[in-house]
Amino acid sequence: MSLEKPQDEQSNAVVAKPTTGEELAELLGDLAIGRDDHMNAPGFVIRPTDVQETLFRLRDDAGFDHLSNVTAEEREDRYETIYHLTSYDDRTREVSVVVPTTKDDPRSQSANPVFRTADWHEREAYDLIGIEYDDHPDLRRILLPDTWQGHPLSKDFDQRRPQVVTLKEWANPLADDHRDSEGETMYINIGPHHPATHGVLHVRTVLDGEQVADVDPDIGYLHRCEEQMCQTKTYRHQIMPYPDRWDYGSAGLLNEWAYARAAEDLNDIDVPEYAQIIRTMGAELCRIASHMLAVGTFALDVYGDFTAIFMYAMRDREIIQNILEDLTGQRMMFNYFRLGGVVWDLPEPREEFFEKIRDFLDDLPGTLEEYHDLISGNEILQLRTIDTGVLPPEVAKSYGATGPVARASGIDYDLRRDDPYGYYDELDWDVITDDGCDNYSRLLCRMREVEESAKIISQCVDLLEDWPEEERTIQSNVPRTLRPEDDTEIYRAVEGAKGELGIYIRADGTDKPGRFKIRSPCFSNLQTLPEISNGEYLPDMIASLGSLDIILGEVDR
Amino acid sequence: MIPLQSETPLPDTIANLLGLSGLLGTIVGALLGAFLIANIVLLQTAVAGPWAKRKITAAFTDRISVNRVGPFGLLTIVVDAVRLLSKELVIPDGVDRPAYDLGPLFIPFSAILGFAVIPMGNGIHLADPETGLVFAFAAASMASLGIMMMGYGSDNKYSLLGGLRAIAANIAYEIPLVVTGASVVLFTGTLRMSEIVAVQAEPLLTVAGVTIPQWFAFVNPFAFVLFVIANLAEVGRNPFDIPEAPTEIVAGYQTEYSSVYFVLIYLGEFVHIFLGGAIAATLFLGGPAGPILPGFVWFLIKIWGFYFFTQWARSAIPRLRVDQFLDIGWKGMLVLSFANLVLTAIIVGVIA
Repeated sequence: MSLEKPQDEQSNAVVAKPTTGEELAELLGDLAIGRDDHMNAPGFVIRPTDVQETLFRLRDDAGFDHLSNVTAEEREDRYETIYHLTSYDDRTREVSVVVPTTKDDPRSQSANPVFRTADWHEREAYDLIGIEYDDHPDLRRILLPDTWQGHPLSKDFDQRRPQVVTLKEWANPLADDHRDSEGETMYINIGPHHPATHGVLHVRTVLDGEQVADVDPDIGYLHRCEEQMCQTKTYRHQIMPYPDRWDYGSAGLLNEWAYARAAEDLNDIDVPEYAQIIRTMGAELCRIASHMLAVGTFALDVYGDFTAIFMYAMRDREIIQNILEDLTGQRMMFNYFRLGGVVWDLPEPREEFFEKIRDFLDDLPGTLEEYHDLISGNEILQLRTIDTGVLPPEVAKSYGATGPVARASGIDYDLRRDDPYGYYDELDWDVITDDGCDNYSRLLCRMREVEESAKIISQCVDLLEDWPEEERTIQSNVPRTLRPEDDTEIYRAVEGAKGELGIYIRADGTDKPGRFKIRSPCFSNLQTLPEISNGEYLPDMIASLGSLDIILGEVDR
Repeated sequence: MIPLQSETPLPDTIANLLGLSGLLGTIVGALLGAFLIANIVLLQTAVAGPWAKRKITAAFTDRISVNRVGPFGLLTIVVDAVRLLSKELVIPDGVDRPAYDLGPLFIPFSAILGFAVIPMGNGIHLADPETGLVFAFAAASMASLGIMMMGYGSDNKYSLLGGLRAIAANIAYEIPLVVTGASVVLFTGTLRMSEIVAVQAEPLLTVAGVTIPQWFAFVNPFAFVLFVIANLAEVGRNPFDIPEAPTEIVAGYQTEYSSVYFVLIYLGEFVHIFLGGAIAATLFLGGPAGPILPGFVWFLIKIWGFYFFTQWARSAIPRLRVDQFLDIGWKGMLVLSFANLVLTAIIVGVIA
């Protein structure tokens, strides 16, 4: 079966690498001053001054080359930063590095020299919690305005204190940096209201003629305190509506699955097989809808006006939305998953519903052919996108890029296969990769992933159709109130529409999470924008931004 | 059948009809003629801008588009005119006043001016100077001046970028455009529009009893293709809508314009498309010539055909990047248009 990774020699190499807690403890030696194991990852407590050494050792000697997430939190007696590491080659290997710092001087070493992605994650930790990172190249606020006072997720933050946010002119960071009296650069604000930023993103851009000299994405315009809101809701029912609002580009069910997976593992809840198939089918429908939106808007960025391809993509996405509406009762904010299953069974009459999906799947190859004729086969589009926005695989890994962005850089990484959940490992499909590393590859990757998702859906429909009527269990028995044990921690991820969507939950013994942290794939992917667009032309920067396919709701949370 | 080209130009015809003569006849005839021409042009634009553009684009993109007011939604034109003119005119602080205000006037007026020398058939031809073709090109390129004023005067970086791009585009593509036009002049030996049309009325060859006229699109299709492409760049439509590029520089030089000023710019762009079509029709498609239907109707069909072509390109072709755009202009179009000119000169020299 295609799911089995055909890489025997590689898996031998993986076996040789330290993976279990004991092996890693041996590798880290004196660096580890304690253990703080998480539910699916060994955890090591280290000193705030040893962060870089530890992470270097884990990355270079143990192959943990993916800094998936950084969680920070203020506890009763300390501040804590947790680095969730895993490996692009084998997603099931995970390790957590816990860095406690003192209450009066929360200061630890930055991980930025080891993983570039730590830059933004640590800025977020500084912004919301108030931990300071030594050696950080640019430690300033990221989600909140520069003039904000206090750190909202810290314990002594006064929520009622009025905040004054001034509107001041942005300065050109390269103003003093020019060759001669004629070679000046021009600072230009792209966004927060700009047709090509796909939401409220502000890109601080410095232009040298038509070329981009410096880019700094300024995010946070859509920050809605999603993490904190989840911390005030109960596990059982109240959190589930929120994930729909993260990646709202029709990826609702994929997001819900991220929370469902973390919370089910935390509470040791089983999901009936039948519900898993429904989940898989719904999630893949969402993925197609998301990718259609991505392809359509990317074409819009390159083409210019509301052109045919955008309308075609929207037209086909509409069919999926109708199917999802039949399934969940909603077009965008589905709220369909429940811990332990889904909320209700497939709509009656079932034959009609299956027929609808099959019709869509039958038309899909023709539709995609049309897309290829209109966009990927177009010479001008190829001229515009091939070899622009190049993201080499090493850089992509360092920035923690995942999803189609990573796969278009030749990184064979897909959580559906590498860290199986749902019903994916029972089905026959392939992970799409492309070695182009450019905007065109990212476009092609998404279009081919649509075909793979269609394969998955088709198999799910066959399975569901033949499922015996008496065995259609849509939910397992779940206690009315869930109270995971105090101080259990879990970090779990699923393959969202844009990449690895992870949830970290620390239980505090109540029916609400003590800390709820969202690892957004868009957040990490957007971080690569300066890397892929510096030195290119302004139109290519816009195209690259489109090809990263960000949804600001997920970036800002 | 009414002759395509009357010997008397339109102002004289009007003066004769009114029974006026001398200086008064010239002035009244010229004014009324200009009024008539401008209204013909603006009527086309009114249909093209708020209605036809939407309908055509909608047909390309599987939509229905305007259909609420009037038959086929045609009264949308009236509704939109009222809507656009009643909007607030927002003039930002810090704009360069005379330039900011004059720019939007330049765009439509330069294009309408070009129509003065276009023979529209049935004697509708305002003026027929010896330098007709050069006048049409000169009038059309005056729009660049307006764009520059708008781009600079708006005090906005997007506008400035758009203005710079527009100037670069106009310079890069005006030369191939004029040089290709000159290759037609080699055949005709005159710049006078009426004579260019008259030359094309000669038969080229007769196939099975059907006489094919000597339209330069048939004589030199290569030049025709070059001319149409350069024209597309000149009027700034996809794949050459670099100066506006809404997803990059947010409509460029138009960014800071609202209400009446915006209407003027928008109007001017459509008049420009029609002027581009009119010049192409005059040079390559026999002007108002055509079987059965009156010449004026054929003229309208030809300019609407070009308009339709621009909308098709807009719906289906991606935009080039600015450097690729200039590369094609300077390294491709310029070389090809000069090759065309030299080859035409040799062939005309050998034959004649």
